[in-house]
Amino acid sequence: MTSGRLGGCRLLARLEGRSSLKNLEPYLFAEEGSPVHGDVIEFHGPEGTGKTEMLYHLIARCIIPKAEGGLGVEVMFVDTDYHFDMLRLVTILENRLAQGTEEMIKQCLGRLFLVSCSSSTQLLLTLYSLENLFCAHPSLCVLLLDSLSAFYWVDRSNGGESLTLQEMNLKKCANFLEKLVTQHHLILFATTQTLMQKSANSAESFLPLKLPHESDTDYRPYLCKSWQQMVTHRVFFSKQCNSGNSKDFTVVSCHLKRNQIVKRSFSVAECGVQF
Amino acid sequence: MVVLRAGLCPGLTEDMIQLLRANGIRTVVDFVSSDLEDVAQKCSLSYKALVAVRRVLLAQFSAFPANGADLYEELKSSTAILPTGSPSLDQLLDSGLYTGEVTELMGAPGSGKTQVCLGIAASVSLGLKQHVLFLDSTGGFTASRLYQMLQAQTEDEEEQLEALQRIQVVRVFNIYELLSALQELRDRLSQQVVSSMGPLKLVVLDSVSAVIYPLLGGRQSEGLALMMQLSRELKTLAREFSLAVVPTGIQVELDIGNGDVLEPSLVTPTQGL
Repeated sequence: MTSGRLGGCRLLARLEGRSSLKNLEPYLFAEEGSPVHGDVIEFHGPEGTGKTEMLYHLIARCIIPKAEGGLGVEVMFVDTDYHFDMLRLVTILENRLAQGTEEMIKQCLGRLFLVSCSSSTQLLLTLYSLENLFCAHPSLCVLLLDSLSAFYWVDRSNGGESLTLQEMNLKKCANFLEKLVTQHHLILFATTQTLMQKSANSAESFLPLKLPHESDTDYRPYLCKSWQQMVTHRVFFSKQCNSGNSKDFTVVSCHLKRNQIVKRSFSVAECGVQF
Repeated sequence: MVVLRAGLCPGLTEDMIQLLRANGIRTVVDFVSSDLEDVAQKCSLSYKALVAVRRVLLAQFSAFPANGADLYEELKSSTAILPTGSPSLDQLLDSGLYTGEVTELMGAPGSGKTQVCLGIAASVSLGLKQHVLFLDSTGGFTASRLYQMLQAQTEDEEEQLEALQRIQVVRVFNIYELLSALQELRDRLSQQVVSSMGPLKLVVLDSVSAVIYPLLGGRQSEGLALMMQLSRELKTLAREFSLAVVPTGIQVELDIGNGDVLEPSLVTPTQGL
């Protein structure tokens, strides 16, 4: 909405006030110096594999002040599932802060903005109205979206027979998110559910075109192309079945442009994600 | 898909609507996502007026961001923990059922879910003197069993009767009846009607799989969409009105066969909850 010179001044203010987010969570990324502003990271996996827990971990890393070891930046959390558990976040903060006093916690929570959406149309309109918030808060540079696939079945049912109609809202959301991320230099983390899986008794052979990470994690893309194309990193979450392992969850992180892959394990404790 | 019409918001006149429609802008989404300078030129409308309308439409239809600290304060004052009547179950749930949350009870048929639900209803009604809504979709609710549980907890007949009166039972045997009952509940709570239905704290839904399973299977995604709608409705009810919602169900993997666009198999129909 801002145009010309005014936009330029604001951009400069954003870049100057911007701190580097390279130390956000080094374990999640395949190469050093990630994430950078403009990155779009997708967390993909079945339910119960730690995606939302990882988001809480990232929120805690962001909103805890620098003095206590965090990054002290503001975070916007868009909740499409009505899934956000404030009490869980507070428990994580209490465990991570040296003095988990009410004052400190409230100060940290003051850096978190939350919005809940009930339909893909409302999500789209909310993203439009959030544009002003990003302009007004230059230090707000992390956008978390949980989850992007929440409206998949509803949209598919509403769109009838036409795939274009089914995907329209999500496509518009993806396009606008891309615009927000580039214009305001944000980092976007979005979770998607594994809604489609190969059936256990299928004798399908792997297609020769499958990338190495895909054969490992059985990834089936179902969201619109606009979203697939704007993702820069894809992180696959899965749960370990063998009980001998102390770490319960695994992430396989892929940098899509450079085709670099790294695999790590983590467990979830009272204080959140621990690598 | 909200269609633009006169009176939707101040400043949106019938003439404006006709001009916009002539240029292909029919819905709120079309209006908000279009370039207003462009529209002002094509429809020869005032740019300022369009910007003002856009601002009002966004304020009306988009969700409003809240600050974490404010939300936390609100949560501290409105969340209550309801004891279930069984100390070991309370321990498992971290002191009890939290209002504002949906707690799902899953188990094979005959594993005792209905009994636990009756126990929780009895505990909340008798112990906390709060109202309970019991949505029964299986016909498994028996008032005599509930009365038996209450008798075991208190000798006073007066108290037993009052506890029974605080539990409202609604029988719903398909998804549409269920959604309609939930809508009625929402209307009642929004209007804060003071009726025989006093302060409601607990909604039990026994069972959710009984209404969902008939919808799943086959090629239509409508069943899944209805399931998502139901789960969303339960979650928003819990959150907006500070209720503890307890649905029960059976967890089973379904293979829905070859879908139209993508290949199949869907895992766990209740994953939406």
